[in-house]
Amino acid sequence: MSGLVGQGVARVDGRAKVTGAARYAADQEVPGALHGFLVMSTIARGEVVEIDTRAALAHPGVVAVYTHADMPRLRVPDFPYNRPYIPMQDARVHHNGQPVAYVVAQTLEQAQEAANLVKVRYRAQAPVARMADVLDQAFLPDRFRGRANEDGRGDAAAALAQAEVRVEATYSSPMQHHNPIEPHTTTAVWAGDGTLTLYESTQGVAFTRNMVTQAFADDPPKDVRVISPYLGGGFGAKGPTYPHTLLTAAVARLAGRPVKLVLSRAQMFTSNGHRAEYRHHLRLGATREGRLTAIADTSTAQVTRLDGRIYNSSDSTLQLYACPNVHVRQLGVRLDLPTSSYMRSPETTAHFGLETAMDELSHELGIDPVELRIRNHTDVVQQTWAGGEPERPYGGKHLLECYRAAAEEFGWARRNPRPGTTRDGDEYVGWGMATETHTYGHIDSEVRLTIGPDGRATVRTASQEIGTGTYTVLSQVAADELGMPLGHVTTLLGDTTYPAASISAGSSTMPSVVGPVSEAAKSARAAVIALAVADPRSPLHGVPAAEVVAEDGRLLASGDRGDTYRDVMARHGQEVTVTGRKPNTRGHSFGAVFVEVRIQPRLGRLRVTRVVTAHDLGRVLNRRTARGQVIGGVTWGIGFALMEHTMVDPVTARVVNPNLSTYLVPVCADTPSVTALFVDEPDPDSQALGARGFGETPGTGVPAAIGNAIHHAIGRRLRDVPFTQDKLL
Amino acid sequence: MRTFGYTVARSPAEAVRIAASTSAPAYVAGGTDLLNLMRDGAQAHDHLVDVNHLGLDEVAFDSRRLRVGAGARMRQVAEHPRVRREFPMLSEALLASASPQVRNMASIGGNLLQRTRCGYFRDAAAPCNKRTPGSGCPAIAGHNRGHAILGGGDHCIATHPSDLAVALSALDATVHLLGPGGERAVPIAGFYLLPGATPDKETVLRPGELITRVDVPRTALAGRSRYLKLRDRATFEFAVVSVAAALRTSGRVVRDVRLAFGGVGTRPWRDLRVEDALRGRPLTVQAIAEAGRLLVRDAEPREGNTFKVELVQRALTSILSELGGLR
Ligand SMILES: Cc1cc2nc3c(=O)[nH]c(=O)nc-3n(C[C@H](O)[C@H](O)[C@H](O)COP(=O)(O)OP(=O)(O)OC[C@H]3O[C@@H](n4cnc5c(N)ncnc54)[C@H](O)[C@@H]3O)c2cc1C
Ligand code: SF4
Repeated sequence: MSGLVGQGVARVDGRAKVTGAARYAADQEVPGALHGFLVMSTIARGEVVEIDTRAALAHPGVVAVYTHADMPRLRVPDFPYNRPYIPMQDARVHHNGQPVAYVVAQTLEQAQEAANLVKVRYRAQAPVARMADVLDQAFLPDRFRGRANEDGRGDAAAALAQAEVRVEATYSSPMQHHNPIEPHTTTAVWAGDGTLTLYESTQGVAFTRNMVTQAFADDPPKDVRVISPYLGGGFGAKGPTYPHTLLTAAVARLAGRPVKLVLSRAQMFTSNGHRAEYRHHLRLGATREGRLTAIADTSTAQVTRLDGRIYNSSDSTLQLYACPNVHVRQLGVRLDLPTSSYMRSPETTAHFGLETAMDELSHELGIDPVELRIRNHTDVVQQTWAGGEPERPYGGKHLLECYRAAAEEFGWARRNPRPGTTRDGDEYVGWGMATETHTYGHIDSEVRLTIGPDGRATVRTASQEIGTGTYTVLSQVAADELGMPLGHVTTLLGDTTYPAASISAGSSTMPSVVGPVSEAAKSARAAVIALAVADPRSPLHGVPAAEVVAEDGRLLASGDRGDTYRDVMARHGQEVTVTGRKPNTRGHSFGAVFVEVRIQPRLGRLRVTRVVTAHDLGRVLNRRTARGQVIGGVTWGIGFALMEHTMVDPVTARVVNPNLSTYLVPVCADTPSVTALFVDEPDPDSQALGARGFGETPGTGVPAAIGNAIHHAIGRRLRDVPFTQDKLL
Repeated sequence: MRTFGYTVARSPAEAVRIAASTSAPAYVAGGTDLLNLMRDGAQAHDHLVDVNHLGLDEVAFDSRRLRVGAGARMRQVAEHPRVRREFPMLSEALLASASPQVRNMASIGGNLLQRTRCGYFRDAAAPCNKRTPGSGCPAIAGHNRGHAILGGGDHCIATHPSDLAVALSALDATVHLLGPGGERAVPIAGFYLLPGATPDKETVLRPGELITRVDVPRTALAGRSRYLKLRDRATFEFAVVSVAAALRTSGRVVRDVRLAFGGVGTRPWRDLRVEDALRGRPLTVQAIAEAGRLLVRDAEPREGNTFKVELVQRALTSILSELGGLR
């Protein structure tokens, strides 16, 4: 080991990205490709009666306009295809902004204008657009991906009735959209032999391949290859597979030409899922000493008329604090909106309620918010009705250390607990905190590692680089285990011709792929050492393999005997290829976030002026990219708390702000510099060199921490994000 | 976006001539608003006349006024040292607008004629009286947080989004025009129209008229001015409420005051009654509060923007207190 793992190594793909050399999906120039553009429905519920394509077909450059009449029949794939139907298979319209026609033209501009010329007549029914109007129709949806929407342990109702202290409130968050900067894009190329290649912006090439294969099962392609070497962000929007990918593949086959589709920003607001609107009705029961005796959370989320999938689970409610009586019910109400989906740190909606309620409880009891959390800390994974697993200790959980480290760095001890007492000029200063936590997943992954005759290594795996640093960290892990300079390792990702690997979602990339890379590197090193010691031309000839160490590209044994990867492989004259696998398990990462806000209550002006975090993510693989995740998570947390909000028209169920000039996300001026501390203790339960999944943990506590800081600043409790200035007046 | 013709004009007269001889023309300067509107299908033109090379980019001072060419860029005006000194509110209003990239591109003329950010207006598939006369106004019963509480009606409640226009209203600027019928000058107070029953008609501009420049009178008052902008994020966002204020006092008594408001009106909002209520009186919190109440006396708030009634009064108090040294 050369100690590369853990270092804040700069991104190996940084130069390619900033110079434009990195080829993102839509940068792929496919000879002869036509341009597609979707015509979206302008009603939310009903059916298409007639589509007049004459004007569009007459437009210069237009090759074809497809409708449900001529779109091939496809099969609805399983999860992670996100919809219970495929559009353009029949005349039905399920939401505003659903594809109803697909224009193909020589240029993008021609396709766009022809799409404007397609005239669609509908038979429309009045949609149900607002959750508030139909809350009385909330129901408990069926289990989704094997998971029940009702879970808990003990008897929360009885415990609440007997509780010495109770907190009860409703916490709500609006519909939100992922808004990665790179739009969704697919280029579908059918080869003469029936092989389909997709240049796709996807968080999971292997999943996309699988979904497309399922969709075309009635007339299967010979093979499907999905290529996605870089993503300009995903945030969950590119995790599941969506209709535009299937439709583009179908259209390219019909047209007999490659077709490139790039969704417009407005189309992304109805094509790729969103975070559903949520209300969490929460009740906490506790003793006067602040021990939780009951947590009951009944949430209501938007689902659709056709499905009841709840994507944002309430894991922290069930597991974060020691509490014998917990009851979680996740209800849905059916609206005529697109199916929601996972969106960056999906558990944030429930966690925002829990962490605000904890602050309310601390205020009620007169116990410091950090102390209250410490009193309810648990080191065991608690049993639940649905979970089935018996209670067991976490392999590592250093949350108490996170509280301590972040509180000290922040100066929390100096906080006057009375709300509205800290002023600076005409601003009120508020300090708030929250626990951060998120589940991370794991998906069995495989890695192929090749050492070439030049002695350099290439790692291949069908994982993805979604902006988080996958290329860098995997190269680090491989170089470290091989004992090679970082520059001698190349990592290749995002291609289904490489061994199948995890989706880059659910914080599962590192837990899934690092172990296999490390295993592969170990085998490759052993294989090269074996070549050396068996080779009479090697200075290491005859040395027991166990006595050879690899370092900086050299293979060394005692007595100044040594060889190099380059020389061994040059003599060998051919590649050495090995594969690596290493199953892991899912789990949780933890942390604490402390924020300072400054508020001018007369004008409702609020600034977040300081953020300190401390996280326990197991072993830190790269301090720089880990810090990047914290900065990104905190920034999105600020967006969640202060501005993000998709508006849907109550009459037409159509998104009113489908663009980045009216769907606000934080700009630099909204985001203070973040002090990010790490505990950095390997988790013995994790097979990823002790590292856990982490990407979605930072930011989970930020909305509550900001709300709690607002309460501390001005004594007002806000429970409904975004906290816009009208709520602060 | 439909196919359109494009000509670069070399003089104001040539620009007007080309516009007069083409169908459905539009002038294009920075294009930071026009091109988005065309892409979104909110506006369609057959011909664009590029007005970036007309020699109209002066920022000049003479003894009586500041002259700003219609082609001057927002950044150029905002960062001009004499504009900063003599017209702080003008510089501040521009610096509080958009982003550095947009300000580098966007012109003064284009800024004054930018269109509302009402989401229904910019969605070609939605009804909207301003875009498609007679189709209705979904904002009234729909999302109207960003909309006007003053000067609206049953036909349209969209705000005019320009910060610059608010400052120029407070400063009594004059807009100079050149059209097929010759030159004319329109005081900014008469430039923007209330929506009434014809919200598609936003200004008194006649077909084919070109803005050539804006004149701003130089006064001592203008040097004692500020622009306060409240919005939903720290930068790069339109006003929820804004106030442009200039104030001259002697002792505590208000000698002169100019006020204009953004984010609350269907046009840049100036209400002389509010200024009259302050002029000649001691500047007190109470006097400001009374003036503020006068401002919102005829306000017609909707579900989503009721808070603006209170917020604009507080903004007025804040900016006048600061200018008048009240705290
Ligand atoms: C993301 C974003 C944020 C923004 N934020 C703000 C903000 O906070 N505050 C603010 O005030 N503005 C804001 N703006 C609007 C911006 O200031 C305007 O888009 C810009 O000023 C328009 O100038 P332009 O030169 O690009 O005009 P163009 O887009 O070229 O033209 C706009 C209109 O003016 C007409 N026109 C242009 N020049 C002339 C002329 N000389 N005579 C007659 N007609 C003419 C055009 O025909 C067109 O109708 C924002 C814009 C964007 C894109
Ligand atoms: S407020 Fe005006 S611009 Fe907006 S929808 Fe109504 S009519 Fe159109």
